[in-house]
Amino acid sequence: MTKYIIKRFLMMIATIFIIATLTFVLMHSIPGSPFDDERTSNPTIQANLEKFYKLDEPMHIQYLYYLKSIVTFDFGPSIKKPNESVNELLARGFPISFELGMVTILVALLSGIILGTLAALRHNGIIDYLAMTFAVVGISVPNFVLATLLIQQVAVNLEWLPAATWSSPLHMILPTLALATGPTAIIARLTRSSMLEVLTQDYIKMARAKGLSPIRIVIRHALRNALMPVVTIMGTMLAGILTGTFVIEKIFAIPGMGKYFVESINNRDYPVIMGSTVFYSAFLVFMLFLVDIIYGLLDPRIKLHRKEGDA
Amino acid sequence: MKKWLIFFVVAIFALVLSACTATKDAGKEKPTETGGEKEEAKTETETQIEKVLYLNNGNEPTSFDPSVGFDAVSWNALNNIMEGLVRLSKDHLAEPATAEKVDVSDDGLTYTFTIRDDAKWSNGDPVLASDFVYGWMHMLDPETASPAAFLAYFIEGAEAYNSGTGTAEAVAIKAVEEKVFEVKLNTPTEAFLNIITNPSFFPVNEKVATGNPTWFAEAATFVGNGPFKLVDWKHDVSFTFAKNENYWDTSTVKLDKVEWAMINDSNTEYQMYQTGELDTSGVPSELAESLMKDPELKNEDQAGLYFYRFNTSMEPFTNKKIRQAFGLAVNQQEMVEFVTKNGEKPAEGFVPYGFIGPDGKEFRDTAGKLVGFDADKAKALLAEGMAEEGYKELPAVTLTYSTSDSHKKIAEALQSKFKEVLGVEVTLQNIEASVFAAEQKEFKYQLSRSSFLFDYADPVNALESFITGSSMNRTTWSDAKYDKLITDIKNETDESKRWEMLIEADAYLMEEMPVFPLYYYNQVTLEKSTVSGIVRHPVGYMDLKWADKN
Repeated sequence: MTKYIIKRFLMMIATIFIIATLTFVLMHSIPGSPFDDERTSNPTIQANLEKFYKLDEPMHIQYLYYLKSIVTFDFGPSIKKPNESVNELLARGFPISFELGMVTILVALLSGIILGTLAALRHNGIIDYLAMTFAVVGISVPNFVLATLLIQQVAVNLEWLPAATWSSPLHMILPTLALATGPTAIIARLTRSSMLEVLTQDYIKMARAKGLSPIRIVIRHALRNALMPVVTIMGTMLAGILTGTFVIEKIFAIPGMGKYFVESINNRDYPVIMGSTVFYSAFLVFMLFLVDIIYGLLDPRIKLHRKEGDA
Repeated sequence: MKKWLIFFVVAIFALVLSACTATKDAGKEKPTETGGEKEEAKTETETQIEKVLYLNNGNEPTSFDPSVGFDAVSWNALNNIMEGLVRLSKDHLAEPATAEKVDVSDDGLTYTFTIRDDAKWSNGDPVLASDFVYGWMHMLDPETASPAAFLAYFIEGAEAYNSGTGTAEAVAIKAVEEKVFEVKLNTPTEAFLNIITNPSFFPVNEKVATGNPTWFAEAATFVGNGPFKLVDWKHDVSFTFAKNENYWDTSTVKLDKVEWAMINDSNTEYQMYQTGELDTSGVPSELAESLMKDPELKNEDQAGLYFYRFNTSMEPFTNKKIRQAFGLAVNQQEMVEFVTKNGEKPAEGFVPYGFIGPDGKEFRDTAGKLVGFDADKAKALLAEGMAEEGYKELPAVTLTYSTSDSHKKIAEALQSKFKEVLGVEVTLQNIEASVFAAEQKEFKYQLSRSSFLFDYADPVNALESFITGSSMNRTTWSDAKYDKLITDIKNETDESKRWEMLIEADAYLMEEMPVFPLYYYNQVTLEKSTVSGIVRHPVGYMDLKWADKN
């Protein structure tokens, strides 16, 4: 186990290094610079700015600075917000995105698994149809449409909840609903289909024959195996949701880190692009690692060292 | 399987129905005015305690270091928590502010400012001439990398110091006495007082800044000298102003507090305006048409314009008549009425509205209508131009714009106009904004969209863009007569004569037509009827000094 973890850890570092290098190459291969905009662009001013951000150095030197910034995890000042370092931006935005993401994931997991299980148990019944209709709608309606509709109905027309910003638990309800619907639907569908398959297995018949209570069968025997596909997608889903979602954060004016991914690229804000990409990929790789460990816990047949051989 | 389908159809139907009722409700809600009454009741109780204005800044300010925050999200705030030697009045004219007296030497080169005795910083320190020296030199220091520094190049020695070829000592900025500040310019610059209303020319409290180089980064350490003081700043969330009791003209200030949110979504902003969480809001583009007649809507000039650039080195736009033909085929009036629909004024020349000459008349009115739709003349000019160049067929034309829905609509309208009037098939090409900006500077496009926002309130600011070699030119157009005209304008000390030359330059530019203008920018704002006195200057920033809320 320890050996496996060490090996995985080294692989994680290699993966992050490759992602980081690719990001650097891609970032500098797109034309345009952070200082290209419609506004007055005096050459002297441009030169001063480029010097300030060390963008006047040759590319390989910039790459070395970049590698140094990854190792020390210090990405320097943002170009669009010159008085703040990328670290400060991430340190401020991530906890908020994480908070929203965590609540969303919990809501989605709970309601998704319950919906999916009920649908499977009442296969082709009313509950099944309702749950799957919800799932189809949940997957097909984009969350920004849902978000705007929710604000218009719940906040503007009914005046039940505040429209936007991030200042109290009440403010969290609408964004959580908007953000959780999609993942809930996906989880519900996955749970339902794998649950249907598991329920026909011999060991479930065996458990029934033993006279175990239906609830115990579902929770201890069926669900445990039916959750494998859910765990598989949880890794990427968690990394995606916990590091912030651009659209929802923008609509609800939530000061998370979702915006940095998109805005930094539009602005060619190199330090922020680097910081957010490296942070996100490290987080994603770590989540995938966790998922592998959870596989082993859920299903003892999966041996970690064998998986490692496959990889 | 069939059941499935029925359920699905029913569910979709239910969803559509609920969506319909949602919009009906939204329409009903307004006329009943329950929301409005509630809002008034709420503000009434509030006014007994204090007057709080709720505004939206859209984004986190780039920086409250006046030398660094060179954009509207920083200026709208900075202009209210700091103040320069002069300040724009309600009529957008530069008037003495922190300075009580401004003396100009006869040659128009030396400006002497006497700072008020009662001008104080929010921490109680007196505002000294040395604070201005410190602030201005900080902007010019190449290490600061201030994007605003070029505005100070009018000052003797400033450009050399900023570009690293000169020394700080050679910059003609000095504190003659404790309260007397003196600046020497390279050339007499009519717009100088206007230029220094820009936040980049605000003073910096030298004592505070030398003690803490990042004094501007947090509300706790920020020291200003404006009508308001910064009392709270939650980064990326909000900031709060309170009335500054140390301000020299504090009796004029009526608001007790200003709460600024940072909502970067125009629909959400409008929805919060509807719920009463904001006192003003922009207009979401989808609602522009229906909100244009709203009694709470204010439509004000903004000094800037939307225009297109020809590349005068690329065929067929090397020919002046062909450029003119394309320019005349554009219908500015139709463009604002049916395409942009945001209440803008159609362009009639390169300089927008909002500039008053020494004769008291609007620049645009004196200069007259220089561009406008004329199908017959456009056709005739195209034929003449093609004959001059010996074209049997017009070389292919590609129109390039930066990716965005609004730019696309305009580009498509232009394309159909060129087809309809000139019979020319123009190919459209859209490019991501940063790439577009870079490639336009490299002269890679034949015909491309552009915009201009004034840095200071003088027509020359827009006109000087097109002198040979200017980084704002981006057309490769070069004309010795025009270059000389702009140089003469900059050296002219006689106001009326200078104004005539500006009008001549505008006319000449439109005649040569390296660019054709479409419309002038405006600022449309929804503002609750309880709010009054917010001044939005055509150049620059919002002023809350005279704002009130009842």
